[in-house]
Amino acid sequence: MHKLGRGSRDKVQQFMAITGASEKAALQALKASDWHLEGAFDVFYSQPQIAVANTRHLEELYNRYKEPDADMIMVEGISQICNDLQVDPQDIVMLVISWHMKASTMCEFTRQEFIGGLQSIGVDSIEKLQAKLPSLRAELKDDQKFHEIYNFAFAWAREKGQKSLALETAIGMWQLLFAERSWPLIDYWCQFLQVRHNKAISRDTWAQLLEFVKTIDPQLTNYDEEGAWPYLIDEFVDYLKENGLA
Amino acid sequence: MLNGGGGGQKKRNTKIEPYRHRVETDPKFFDKSWRKLHDAIREIYNHNASGLSFEELYRTAYNMVLNKFAPQLYEKLTENMKGHLEEMRTCIEAAQGGLFLEELQRKWNDHNKALTMIRDILMYMDRTYIPTNKKTPVFEHGLELWRDTIVRSPMIQGRLFDTLLELIHRERTGDVINRGLMRTTTKMLMDLGLSVYQDDFERPFLEVSASFYSGESQQFIECCTCGEYLKQAERRLHEESERVSQYLDAKTNEKITAVVVKEMLANHMQRLILMENSGLVNMLVEDRYEDLTRMYTLFNHVPDGLATIRSVMVSHIKDTGKSLVTDPERLKDPVDFVQRLLNMKDKYDNIINVSFSNDKSFLNALNSSFENFINLNNRSPEFISLFVDDKLRKGVKEANEEDLETVLDKVMMLFRYLQEKDLFEKYYKQHLAKRLLSGKAASDDSERSMLVKLKTECGYQFTSKLEGMFTDLKTSQDTTQGFYASTSSELPADAPTMSVQILTTGSWPTQTCNTCNLPPEIVSVSEKFRSYYLGTHNGRRLTWQTNMGTADIKVTFGNGSKHELNVSTYQMCVLMLFNSADVLTYREIEQSTAIPAADLKRCLQSLALVKGKQVLRKEPMSRDIADDDSFCVNDKFTSKLFKVKIGTVVAQKETDPEKLETRQRVEEDRKPQIEAAIVRIMKSRRVLDHNSIMTEVTKQLQPRFMPNPVVIKKRIESLIERDFLERDKTDRKMYRYLA
Repeated sequence: MHKLGRGSRDKVQQFMAITGASEKAALQALKASDWHLEGAFDVFYSQPQIAVANTRHLEELYNRYKEPDADMIMVEGISQICNDLQVDPQDIVMLVISWHMKASTMCEFTRQEFIGGLQSIGVDSIEKLQAKLPSLRAELKDDQKFHEIYNFAFAWAREKGQKSLALETAIGMWQLLFAERSWPLIDYWCQFLQVRHNKAISRDTWAQLLEFVKTIDPQLTNYDEEGAWPYLIDEFVDYLKENGLA
Repeated sequence: MLNGGGGGQKKRNTKIEPYRHRVETDPKFFDKSWRKLHDAIREIYNHNASGLSFEELYRTAYNMVLNKFAPQLYEKLTENMKGHLEEMRTCIEAAQGGLFLEELQRKWNDHNKALTMIRDILMYMDRTYIPTNKKTPVFEHGLELWRDTIVRSPMIQGRLFDTLLELIHRERTGDVINRGLMRTTTKMLMDLGLSVYQDDFERPFLEVSASFYSGESQQFIECCTCGEYLKQAERRLHEESERVSQYLDAKTNEKITAVVVKEMLANHMQRLILMENSGLVNMLVEDRYEDLTRMYTLFNHVPDGLATIRSVMVSHIKDTGKSLVTDPERLKDPVDFVQRLLNMKDKYDNIINVSFSNDKSFLNALNSSFENFINLNNRSPEFISLFVDDKLRKGVKEANEEDLETVLDKVMMLFRYLQEKDLFEKYYKQHLAKRLLSGKAASDDSERSMLVKLKTECGYQFTSKLEGMFTDLKTSQDTTQGFYASTSSELPADAPTMSVQILTTGSWPTQTCNTCNLPPEIVSVSEKFRSYYLGTHNGRRLTWQTNMGTADIKVTFGNGSKHELNVSTYQMCVLMLFNSADVLTYREIEQSTAIPAADLKRCLQSLALVKGKQVLRKEPMSRDIADDDSFCVNDKFTSKLFKVKIGTVVAQKETDPEKLETRQRVEEDRKPQIEAAIVRIMKSRRVLDHNSIMTEVTKQLQPRFMPNPVVIKKRIESLIERDFLERDKTDRKMYRYLA
């Protein structure tokens, strides 16, 4: 085995801690990216998953958590899953798992969603899923994946039969998501919504806020009032200026 | 061979040679010849030409040219003429005072005559030697010598300028001068060459003129009103033009005009136009057509002159208009308000027509000014509608339909200025409804004429519901006739006659549905009508609107007087109660009729408190109506007229809450229109960017109202929400239409 330099050793440790990958996988990814940590993540995530999940085990797992009288995992089952995984139900990693499962609704997993989702990430036991949590959490670092997860969250968190997302739910989701991205204006945004808006959030506004976060600097120097932003975002900008916050 | 007789004689060739005249050059030839010419020229200049032989002199010159003495001859001629001119100059310079120009003129005439003769004598040289050698022809050469020897001599040149300019100055200050002498002098300068006239006279003339008019304008502007000043300027322009036609070159006219314009008008333009108490604004206010015409005509010569006048006029109209439309006092009388606008428009139309040559740029400026200030008052749409209502009601003093038509055409011009035509439409519908339903419309033809004007201006959609109102009334007549035709046998002989107006929901302004308790006599007929109507119109619903409508009631008062009262439906309900009661309290009336309190109080005030119309008596006699106040028939009621009209509700300008409600309804009505416009645009474009949609929607809706960009944006978001539109996946500013 090659004797690694101290810097390289640190990078391997860091990569393993973030992704939960094996030392071998970490070494492969880092070498392929010429020892750049960010590049290594890209290499690692772009590779197809090799593991093949055991369907029978997944069936047993599903049956363990599903409702006794319905073919669906619901609140109690999900709570149990979180207990077994030793994660808080509010943890954002549950959102990532739900995204993999393509869950239609918060707090519900159909058989297809549960089994198909776990297969897609190559796990067939709680232990394996638990071991996978760091790498699932790390997916939020990837811009493209974050973007998909963010937009997935809108329909997932929405009440059944509703077109818009309830304000309190939207605020909760935004706080959860932007804890991962450190948007300086998140607190002002939530405050503004409660003070000035106090209504449900449309899908378009939800999607466009992420564009706003990505493209407009926190001082709003490049904000364009004729830039086709949703009116709510226009109002937010006015709110910031009125209060001397930008 | 036979030989001819006589023998061959050779022919002799004879040659005739021309006669050769041997001429030897006489050493004295030139001198002798020139002597002849010299002496002759002297005699010519001394007015003694009559003794000369033209033929001999011509031949002398001719022979000199033939003998190659042309150059010497030309030079000698020059010296000789110069000598004569120098003698003339001495005489001219010696002339005293006023005789200077006369002497100059006399010598000029002499010189011209002499030149004519000399040219004739030297004609052969002019035709041969001079063109060949590119010399100046004799006559022109003589003129040049006059120019250089006399006109531009140091002593004469300055004196000539001074004399001419002094005479012009005296003429400008009122003296009569010898114009003929001026004319011949300036003509002399022109004959010497246009550049001589321009350099030796015109340029100093223009400079001195500029100085003169600069001084005069300074003096006048201090002591004259604007009108007086402009009159003076006009007079000066005329004088200068006349001077040119009298004794200056025609081309000078443009130049001297420019000088006067610059010194008297352009340099003082702002001060004149803005002059306090007499400037443009005062002229406009006081309708001083003559002064305005003069100002327009004069400043037409000035760069930016008309633009400045137009600008000041616009400012004044906007200020005046703004005062008019924002004066709280004016807002109390909508009809007067609009009449003042019409008067103001007439006033400026007249000024532009009479004084400003119907100048298109001024008409456009007037139109944009009106559009600017009329929309400063967001009640203008309502007031214009009320004005039309006033004109279209019966009893209006308008003498004839032609005058009415003229007034309506003028009102349409004001309408054209409105930016919120949809707000006007809403009010117009309300007011039209009241006219039609109260029977107050003066003339069907006039009403329809107005509708045609509105349709022409804004299109079919704008007036379709209004036309629906007329259709409803026509249909109602037919229905009522049908009702009586089919049920007359079922009705008691003394049943009241009823006329019903059936109003299609949606065509008429929204009305709260107020039903009161109708008198039994009315109920029986109305229920029969309901049965008839619903029987012939399956699926319809019929709701009575008792807050509208009128009634004619025959009354016999206690004193025996009989009258026919024209009252509202509510008033009828109240009056009928007194057939079976002598005295009723307010509370009792309210309970019996179920008329809403506000309406009922207004109704009772009309019946009991209006002087000359008091068919009821109220106890106590106060304006306010309390629950325990009592009412009874006024047995002492008298009136000169048999038919007495108790006041009905006339269209009034809205109270503030009503106004707010109307505006909110208009704003709500705009949303679907904006949305429909967006859908139309996207359906045809399929893909379009945000700013183009904003522009396109605004353009489409502008004839009716100016859409609010924020509302457009919200409508776009709503359409996205409802899956009519989506954002492009790669360009968030681009929208796609979803079929």
